[in-house]
Amino acid sequence: MNRKGKIGLALLLGALGTGGFILAQTQSSYTGPKVEITYLHGFTGPDRPVMEDLVKRFNETHPNIVVKATAQPWGTTWNQLEPLVASGRAPDVVVVNEDQITRFIARGALTPITPQMYRSANIDTNRFFKPLFETASYKGQSYGVPISAVAYVMFYNKALMQKMGVSKVPTNRAELLTAARACTTDKEGRKPGQAGFDAKNLETWGISLYNNWVGARMAYSAILQNGGSLVDKDLNASFNTPEAVEAVQFLVDLVQKENVARPNSTEEAELAAFSQGKVCFFPSGQWYLDRFEKTPNFSFGVAFPPRIGNKQDATWGGSSHLTLPVQRQGYDPNKRAAAMEFINWMSAAPQNLVWTSTGSLPTVRAVAQDKKFETQPISGIFDKLDSIYATSGFPWGGQVLGPFDGAWERAYLGKQPVKQALDQGVDEANKQIAQARPNFR
Amino acid sequence: MTRASDSSPRRGRLFALDDSNPLVPYLYLLPHAAFFLVFIVYPVGYGLWVSFHRWDLLGGQQEFVGLTFYRNLFDPSTPQSQFFWKSLINTTLFTLISTPLLVGAALGLAVLLYRPIFGRAVFRAIFFMPGILSVSVMGILWRWMFDNQSGLVNVIRQEFWGLPVIQFLTTEGWAWVPIIVGTVWWTVGFNMTLYLAALGGISQSVYEAADIDGAGPWAKFRHITVPLLAPTTLFITVTTVLASFQLFGQSQVITNGGPARSTQSVIMYITEEAFGNYQLSSASAMAFVFGALMLVFTVIQFRLMVKDLNASRER
Repeated sequence: MNRKGKIGLALLLGALGTGGFILAQTQSSYTGPKVEITYLHGFTGPDRPVMEDLVKRFNETHPNIVVKATAQPWGTTWNQLEPLVASGRAPDVVVVNEDQITRFIARGALTPITPQMYRSANIDTNRFFKPLFETASYKGQSYGVPISAVAYVMFYNKALMQKMGVSKVPTNRAELLTAARACTTDKEGRKPGQAGFDAKNLETWGISLYNNWVGARMAYSAILQNGGSLVDKDLNASFNTPEAVEAVQFLVDLVQKENVARPNSTEEAELAAFSQGKVCFFPSGQWYLDRFEKTPNFSFGVAFPPRIGNKQDATWGGSSHLTLPVQRQGYDPNKRAAAMEFINWMSAAPQNLVWTSTGSLPTVRAVAQDKKFETQPISGIFDKLDSIYATSGFPWGGQVLGPFDGAWERAYLGKQPVKQALDQGVDEANKQIAQARPNFR
Repeated sequence: MTRASDSSPRRGRLFALDDSNPLVPYLYLLPHAAFFLVFIVYPVGYGLWVSFHRWDLLGGQQEFVGLTFYRNLFDPSTPQSQFFWKSLINTTLFTLISTPLLVGAALGLAVLLYRPIFGRAVFRAIFFMPGILSVSVMGILWRWMFDNQSGLVNVIRQEFWGLPVIQFLTTEGWAWVPIIVGTVWWTVGFNMTLYLAALGGISQSVYEAADIDGAGPWAKFRHITVPLLAPTTLFITVTTVLASFQLFGQSQVITNGGPARSTQSVIMYITEEAFGNYQLSSASAMAFVFGALMLVFTVIQFRLMVKDLNASRER
């Protein structure tokens, strides 16, 4: 092929490529007249410019839809959404997080999205990880789609594991116990079980457990792994079932019997110890990833929390969902259709891939396959993204999670036996749920 | 038209365009009254209304429940009665311990820094400066200082003095230490500044007279400085007590109310009920009960203050 031919081919390919690109970008499900829709979200941190850029690109590729986006702190939105809906002035699309979404659904503030609506907007709901998508479901109906996700993971210190002769990241209860014992030494270099072992003065230890709500997510994960749950089918608190007690007892035993975790510790102290190479396994939110990546000469990995229970893999996750607030009667159907197109575009794979640059996990299956993750530590949990469960599905989030976190605190600190702590938590939660029930549908 | 005497104000007609118009005093009051009505009276009235209803913005109908949410506070089987009174005891304990410290330390610092010592302005600035920090910055700082494992306080106890570690953040009782130490460090500078200003108002001639009479420094402090600062001390005590009862941020950031709610303050619990449990009517009822208790307390304090001021004038 001569030079001219090459240029011609290049131009042709270029034209085809551009055409295909334009075609792909303009395959909008919304074909009505030009409308303006409002979009309220709480991405006010370093993720704000990423979201603003995505909205800008949506507006550029959708000439008949104008999205006016507003960012405001989450807490403000949680306080304002109901009054806005009541006065008929709610934004067309609002991002709601996993800990609030069921409350707003059960208060009647959000519009259900029917299978028909998903179809018209070309949204295949199978594109999302299933438990993540179902975080926004209540009584068999869907109320939104996920666009951002975080999870409770287990960080591990590679250098310390190697020094202690632990070659495999534990994936189940027995492996965790063995590895944690191997990682534990007291100030004199003695191992747990050895004569004279001083559990009060640990030099290194196996796993970080701690008292706050983040520490309580380890207990939540263990309960789910054991086939338990926070609430029963009537949505009353039930985190004191035998499976739940057994799972939490194992964790507390790691502190009190096995001496492979420090007692009376805080998240900050464990975080510091993990960074200093004193503890092998540090379960916490994936949000510490950035911090560890920036620590010089720190060799760490990310794994899915080991399966402590005998039923399933599970860990806690948090997420943000695009939702449609209830509007006043006579709401412009074109706005709704445009909002659905916006939801479709924003939750699609290319945009989700861009969004993962903020530190979010992929919410779309296809994105998790992307090459860019292959060398990243977070890909250590990608084979189990289908096993991440939010604390949602019951409208009384505060009534359940407050007493649950309190029960974990008392059990972990040894202020109460596990059973008693969980019983007291369930009792407290159910009294408060009984009071809250009349407010919900 | 009128023959007003000098002692009684003239009363003009309603449309008079001068000071004789009877509406004049009310017009002067209006700017403040407007804000007072909109931002105080209306919200308080609305809050009272909310506390008597099962408040439901989206339900359309607001079910009247009367005193139910108030009765919950006195019914031992409800979580509200259990936690509200516990948090009130916690807050009272905090007030009882922190107020004398905040008043005493402020007085001590003020007396020391009133004298023309070297670097006086620098030290005044140093003691005042923590007060400009936000509560979250101050809270995180003291949480680090008193951390159970890696905190500076425990490291010093262990490494230098060979003492056992104290689990400050997770032990009932000890958990108050970081909160109270942090609060004193944070707010003592403000009280100190008030005392410094008051010290400037004491005439040097009084001290000179005492010198001639042969009074020592302690006698001068005890019999001149303290009595002459009494009005300031009362003012500082009242404002410090009221501020201490509003305890919120320090507990929230340092201990998150733990362990087992032992450092949870009333305001924290009301916030939990309102924005964690979304029981806004119940939270409003608690706020009114707490407000009423504060009102009683304030009236007593003002009575004492007036009585004491009168007594000091007679002296």
